[in-house]
Amino acid sequence: MLQIDGTAAFTILFAVFLILGFYGRYWRKGDLSKLDEWALGGRRFGAFIVWFLVGADLYTAYTFIAIPSSVFSIGAIYFFAVPYVAVTFGIAMWAMPKLWKVSKKEGHVTGADFVRKHFNSRSLAILVALVGIVAELPYIALQIVGMLSVMFVMLYGLGSIKLVSDLALILSFIILAIFTYFSGLRGATLTAIFKDAIILFTVALVIIVAVVNIGFTKSFQSLPVKYYHLLPLQVNAYWSLFLMSALALYLYPHAITGSLSAKDPKSLRISQSLLPLYGVGLALLALFGILAYGSSSTHAFLIQIPAASRGTYVVPALIFYTLPSWLTGVAFLGIFIGGLVPASIMAISQSNLLTRNIIKEIKPNLTSKGESLVAKVGTIIFLFIALGFVFLFPLSYSVQLQLLGGILILQTLPSVFLGLITNKLNKYGLMAGLIVGIGYGLYLMEVANHFKPWTTTLITMPPFNYPLFIGFIALLANLVVVLIISLIALPFSKKNTVTEN
Amino acid sequence: MMSSNSANVNKSKGLIIVISAILTIIPFFALIDIPFYNRTNPELGGLPFFYWYQILWLFVAAALFATAGIIYNRYGGE
Repeated sequence: MLQIDGTAAFTILFAVFLILGFYGRYWRKGDLSKLDEWALGGRRFGAFIVWFLVGADLYTAYTFIAIPSSVFSIGAIYFFAVPYVAVTFGIAMWAMPKLWKVSKKEGHVTGADFVRKHFNSRSLAILVALVGIVAELPYIALQIVGMLSVMFVMLYGLGSIKLVSDLALILSFIILAIFTYFSGLRGATLTAIFKDAIILFTVALVIIVAVVNIGFTKSFQSLPVKYYHLLPLQVNAYWSLFLMSALALYLYPHAITGSLSAKDPKSLRISQSLLPLYGVGLALLALFGILAYGSSSTHAFLIQIPAASRGTYVVPALIFYTLPSWLTGVAFLGIFIGGLVPASIMAISQSNLLTRNIIKEIKPNLTSKGESLVAKVGTIIFLFIALGFVFLFPLSYSVQLQLLGGILILQTLPSVFLGLITNKLNKYGLMAGLIVGIGYGLYLMEVANHFKPWTTTLITMPPFNYPLFIGFIALLANLVVVLIISLIALPFSKKNTVTEN
Repeated sequence: MMSSNSANVNKSKGLIIVISAILTIIPFFALIDIPFYNRTNPELGGLPFFYWYQILWLFVAAALFATAGIIYNRYGGE
């Protein structure tokens, strides 16, 4: 259990965090009853702020909990998150300024706005919006798992641990819901900078202390080959995981929201190009999964926990046994709000989709004030749906939550990314491809997991005789359908495509 | 807008696009060649090559992407 000075550090910094969250309401003040202002911060963030804002999506429970946990329990293959962040920004620095320009011109706030206008299809836009909303849910759920694991280590040994951590979790969520409601993206941005400063500081500190005191040589000593590098059979799984994750990141509604809040395409491009640096912290955190084997006290703590959920506590436990108590409190706060802030950003982008692309299609005469209200209420509802997800999925497979979201969101790639490049694709083809991709992806998830609870997103199936990420296979099926239908429809839709763009 | 550009400007803009594209694509090749870096040696402070090679590429990728972005922003247009 965390000592009094650690708990004090945690509490004081949490208070600072809340003040920043509420202060965000007044920062670079705009009319918050307008959706542009509330959700995009008025489209005037510079390169540095956007760097933090989009980077904040990187330092989430995915980084702190899911990846180190999987490296710890499965091995080197889950280091795929590093090449993923190295290449994803190479895609983003070209795609996102392009989307920014179209969005500024047409007043788009979401990816689905773009799809609706570009393909002149309400149904396709609604479909893309729905997929975006659903794909965010497991990702938000992962953030909650992260917060839960910090609370667990903090309160470990304090009687009924389940009750205490559940209560703490629900309380934090009510606080998050309230400040998200009042501050919108401005609040999330200020707190993102605060959170990342704390995290970068503590990650660096833990790595230095752990490497000096434990060292990699000792940590690797007792580990099998699959921790040193990939097994030959894992090579294809590796590239399919990192390339598909790289393609998926900027299809997520929250990443699009972050990018569109930039003040101009040039500063957006520079901020994206420098984001691989942000990934260094992610890489170091992944190595916590190895260093945990070298720290005997961490290992002693972890083996008390059932193997199925052990990995989830790797990072909090290693911090706890490496740093002095008050610094542990600081670090835990960083991880805790590292779940809260992204969850807030994700829920904001979900409700952008809900209001603009679903509710407004049904009720077009909604006032801008009404639109903003629906968005804010929607945010809170989504946060609570995601909270429900946590109780449905086993903790130990937290990384699969994010990868499941990836399989879903990837299916919007033809509509959004290919839509940026060409206007030759047929809207019915895109709809059919999207539905086929999602249906096939979910079916393969069932097959790969033998119709039991989902613990893997890899599958071995002909014509491939090695495991591959299901998202890749589903996207292939999706693209085949899109291309075939678009080719058939091309001669009939000449008129349609000329009027576009 | 395009018609007001002289042929010369278009030509140098094309060159800028090619250079930016090459700079952007290099990290992809470095990281997709998994068999090259999928090994233990040489280790760096006990860390297998597999790990530190990829971490190193985070820095190189940022440098290459930023160079591409700056060149493109300055000479290639928006």
